[in-house]
Amino acid sequence: MSLVQDVMLLVLAIVLLGSTLGLIRNRRLREEYALLWVCTGLMLLAFAAFPTTIFTVAQWLGINHVVLMMLPCFLFLMAIVMHYSVVITKHSDCERSLVQETALLKDEVRELQEQVRSLLSSAGQGGKTDSPRPPDRK
Amino acid sequence: MDLQGRRALVIVPAYNEAERIGWVIRDLRRHAPWADVLVVNDGSRDATSERARSAGAKTIDLSANLGIGGAVQTGYRYAFEHGYDFAFQFDGDGQHRARRLPDLVRPLMDGEADLVVGSRFLRPRGTTATGMRLVGIKFISLLVSCLLRRRITDPTSGFRAAGRRAICLFAKDYPQDYPEPESLVQVWRQGLRTREVPAAMRRRLRGNSSIGAWSGCYYMAKVALAVVMQGVKSPIPLEKEASR
Repeated sequence: MSLVQDVMLLVLAIVLLGSTLGLIRNRRLREEYALLWVCTGLMLLAFAAFPTTIFTVAQWLGINHVVLMMLPCFLFLMAIVMHYSVVITKHSDCERSLVQETALLKDEVRELQEQVRSLLSSAGQGGKTDSPRPPDRK
Repeated sequence: MDLQGRRALVIVPAYNEAERIGWVIRDLRRHAPWADVLVVNDGSRDATSERARSAGAKTIDLSANLGIGGAVQTGYRYAFEHGYDFAFQFDGDGQHRARRLPDLVRPLMDGEADLVVGSRFLRPRGTTATGMRLVGIKFISLLVSCLLRRRITDPTSGFRAAGRRAICLFAKDYPQDYPEPESLVQVWRQGLRTREVPAAMRRRLRGNSSIGAWSGCYYMAKVALAVVMQGVKSPIPLEKEASR
């Protein structure tokens, strides 16, 4: 690996680690994800600091062209993107359910308010008139 | 219509239908006084909610626009929690006829089906769809019919009646992207019975369908994918609460 490549990798690793730390400090990144990016950053840093390790890893994986090390990286990114799709699905389901639940609760509050009002007014009239039906929600 | 002591709810999803909603509710109250009406206002920016309330319908306001699937499911959740035996889906734009509701509920009362769909294409009442729309509907019905191995003539119809088991299912899980055709496949996967009955519909008086002719093909591909995906999903367990 040439010196330029090595320096570029080093800079990349530092930028990644730095921005991860920044995001954690501002509480804009959850620990779950922070850990992933810290690990990735540290790995890049290790490769930059000890350039030979990348060849060793390539050999372990039976990859004889270092350029082909792109493949594991690519798979890693694919896995992350897939994970995010799952998370987005989960969140949109959760969000929809919340919107529905608040709307149903708002309706129930409105019902209860009306019942309280009619109870109060009937109490004012000496407790006569028909009592309101209790809600049959479970 | 005598429901023999059972209770029915008409779910009316409405998005920016201020002009039509009052009329729809009056139609329902005149021709189906035996059913409660629930308008689900899907985050409209106009006076849909106020008009619905002043027309005398119970109205639920969603704080964000969830789309037809999310709005209808809100109605099913309401029907489930309040112990309704039957729930209808009835569009807020005035294309469905309240007078036809008894046709839909009859197979449920007789225990012949869990979901009844009003079809524009079953005789003897003729069709109202035209041109590319009709081609699209034919394509989807072919696809759904192949999956279910039985003839489904109008899978995109949103004029439906659900029994207690279907209410329970939809309250828990309702397709969101193209709910009408998808839910047919879902109901079939779940082992519930679907039945189609003839139902004439009005032409849309104002506005147009959510499907533009322009993106028709793209739309078809997405629906096809969604329908097939629905067929792959595993059924969810329905507890005893369904059979009250």
